[in-house]
Amino acid sequence: MTDWEPKIIALLCNWCSYGAADLAGVSRLKQPPNIRIIRVPCSGRVNPKFILASLRKGADGVWVSGCHPGDCHYIEGNYYARRKFVLLKKFLEYVGIEPERLHFSWISSAEATKFAKVAEEVVEAVKKVGPARYLVKREVEVE
Amino acid sequence: MSWLRLTQEGLTEWLRKFGKTHRLYGPVWTGSYHEFKLLQDPGEIDWNYRNTRLSPKSLFLPPAEKMFVYSLDPNDPERAILKEAPKDFTPRIIVGIRPCDAYALQLVDRNFITSQYQDPWWVNRRENTILVGYGCTDPCSTCFCSSVGSGPFDTRGLDVLVVNVDGGFAISFVSERGKELLRREPLGARALSESEERALQDKMAQAKAAMPKLWDEKAVASRPLLDIFNAPFWEEVQFSCINCGTCTFLCPTCWCFDIQDEVWKERGCRVRLWDSCMFPLFTLHASGHNPRSQKLQRVRQRFMHKLKYYVDKYGDGVACVGCGRCVQFCPVNIDIREVMRLMVSHCQCAL
Amino acid sequence: MYEYTEKIKEIATRLLQDKVVDGVIGFRKGTIPMVNNPVFIKHPEQVSQLYWDSWCGVNLANYLPKFQGKVAVVAKGCDSRSIVVLMMENQISRDQLYIIGVPCKGMLDRRKIWDAVGDRGRDVTDVQERDGVLVVAGRGFSLELERDKYLQDNCAICTHRNPVLYDELVGEMVTEQQVDRYEDIRAIEALPSEKRWEYFQKLVESCIRCYACRNACPFCYCPQCFVDESKPQWVGKTIDPTDTMTFHLLRAFHMAGRCTDCGSCERACPMGIKVRMFTKKLEKDVKELYGYEAGVQLGERPPLDTYRPDDPQEFIK
Repeated sequence: MTDWEPKIIALLCNWCSYGAADLAGVSRLKQPPNIRIIRVPCSGRVNPKFILASLRKGADGVWVSGCHPGDCHYIEGNYYARRKFVLLKKFLEYVGIEPERLHFSWISSAEATKFAKVAEEVVEAVKKVGPARYLVKREVEVE
Repeated sequence: MSWLRLTQEGLTEWLRKFGKTHRLYGPVWTGSYHEFKLLQDPGEIDWNYRNTRLSPKSLFLPPAEKMFVYSLDPNDPERAILKEAPKDFTPRIIVGIRPCDAYALQLVDRNFITSQYQDPWWVNRRENTILVGYGCTDPCSTCFCSSVGSGPFDTRGLDVLVVNVDGGFAISFVSERGKELLRREPLGARALSESEERALQDKMAQAKAAMPKLWDEKAVASRPLLDIFNAPFWEEVQFSCINCGTCTFLCPTCWCFDIQDEVWKERGCRVRLWDSCMFPLFTLHASGHNPRSQKLQRVRQRFMHKLKYYVDKYGDGVACVGCGRCVQFCPVNIDIREVMRLMVSHCQCAL
Repeated sequence: MYEYTEKIKEIATRLLQDKVVDGVIGFRKGTIPMVNNPVFIKHPEQVSQLYWDSWCGVNLANYLPKFQGKVAVVAKGCDSRSIVVLMMENQISRDQLYIIGVPCKGMLDRRKIWDAVGDRGRDVTDVQERDGVLVVAGRGFSLELERDKYLQDNCAICTHRNPVLYDELVGEMVTEQQVDRYEDIRAIEALPSEKRWEYFQKLVESCIRCYACRNACPFCYCPQCFVDESKPQWVGKTIDPTDTMTFHLLRAFHMAGRCTDCGSCERACPMGIKVRMFTKKLEKDVKELYGYEAGVQLGERPPLDTYRPDDPQEFIK
């Protein structure tokens, strides 16, 4: 159909999800190449600014992943993240940004297969909604 | 001043004749306020308007505009060359501008057109724009142009003045450029009859009388600057200010701007955009020092600039034209007329 | 509500004479109709300036963050909730405050009056209020309007008209109304995705980035706002539509669980933009997900500063 491939920015927490991504790679699991990873110390470090900044820079999708609740390396970072993300997801959806563009997951460092699976799901979901349309900052629109 | 008389239809028809050679701008209702918009036809002008929300300075100094652009695209023969952003400086006629706003443009000229430096964008727009003014026969309660050296029929800054009278308009061609318009396209108007002339003068006198002079600004002009600067009333004035940019953005005489660079892929531009002395970062130096870090300093600076520094520097009146926009839209009702009253009474008490 | 004026003056005189506070933050009558001027009264002789009517919409809690010394502040229901949140965020401490509580029947919206007066901006020179009737007059006209039809949007759906925290009340508590606060939000949620984006683009298209909304808000007290951050620059400063939308989205998100819907942002906007359409959605979600209403319960942690192990997470894979 078209040879557009989505670009997904993945913000992965260093201790769990990033480890899972690493393990998935080392285990040579098949996964889509569209994921561009940014390592953060904890999912709780993810500021909504980062998600908006990714969308502004043209990311077709943003995926944030952290440790399972209760297993956060910093004890409770992911609990705060969970509250932030649900509000942000609902808010961006309300404003008109397609819900298929934002994804959140809990993936522990042993769950390499889950990582590959979720990566596949994320890419499929974003492919359905097409290239990023809204909130993309291109050339500044002034006279 | 010699006046001619014509109907609204007649004036609209005459303006239409310039449609091919000039871009026409006039006040149009947006649904919640009036704005100067590029007109497809002069029939769109709302002659019942009072004043626009944003002043017409945005037609000369836009809220944001590109100054320079560059491209690094390897296929572009002009790559890596910094160029002036293309602009449309083709002739324009702004119809329906109020005398206060037109006079404001003259005040702002002092900033952008100096002996050492002329701002090319401002200069080009000023030179290519003809101003057809609309006199104020029914000033608003927030207008005070007559207290700041202007007036509801002030022709300084105007090329043509239109005043609405019974059944149509009286029109006067004030400047050479205005008269040139008349020479280009005949108007199909007649001179005013004696009674009509008297009625017009009466109307104009009534409008002027509706705005009594609020204070004697000579008291402020003659007082030493530091005396007013250190006055105790600034503490009271500054309390309610929330340091938003509303007064500065709506003001027809505010001219401050910020410059930002915006880059996207292989293209970039330098943009000039409105800035406000009310913002805390306005005077932040690169060293980190901020001479106006306190709200009182910023509030005092705004009023001193308009009502004292400009007077001292140029010697012919304040940098305020009495349009009343800041009075109407300050969210906390800081009234420049009140501040001037405080300044005048402080100066008078000190005598 | 004019009788409140006398009570406020009486309380202020007492507080200043007894040196209970360094000053009183209240309103004095505006120089133009339909707006009043916040004032800081320091001496009993100045107390006669204090005034109260239906145009005291500005949230006086805006002047409280990092205030030095002891101060009395006149607070309506929404303002008192803002004060509670500011206390939780350590911007002011309870012992610095003497809260003069005002049970509020709603503030009026002058834009609605302008619409009613019509003629695209007829000059209103005087507004009087008597028993639920507004008499709006200008040169050559006078209209009688029913007060309750001209409330500010947030006041029309207010469910906390009485102050939640106060040291003294200026009048009897008023009955709280039972009202659906989120009807308009649900209407937008029901629209398809592109229509929603179009709606919001249109909403902010006249934004001139004056930041009146931000500055009128008591919770925007950051020493450096995200719009002024340059390394990296999260949002451009021009009126570019994408930047403008980013500003409004992020500012609204910063209000999540803090906004008390005082309406100061909408009131301050010179272009009349209904910015509460952003913040109300977050208020609705916080209420539905976490059962939290900003500033109602003293001591309750803000929703993004706390968690429960069983917080909703169906959206997480």
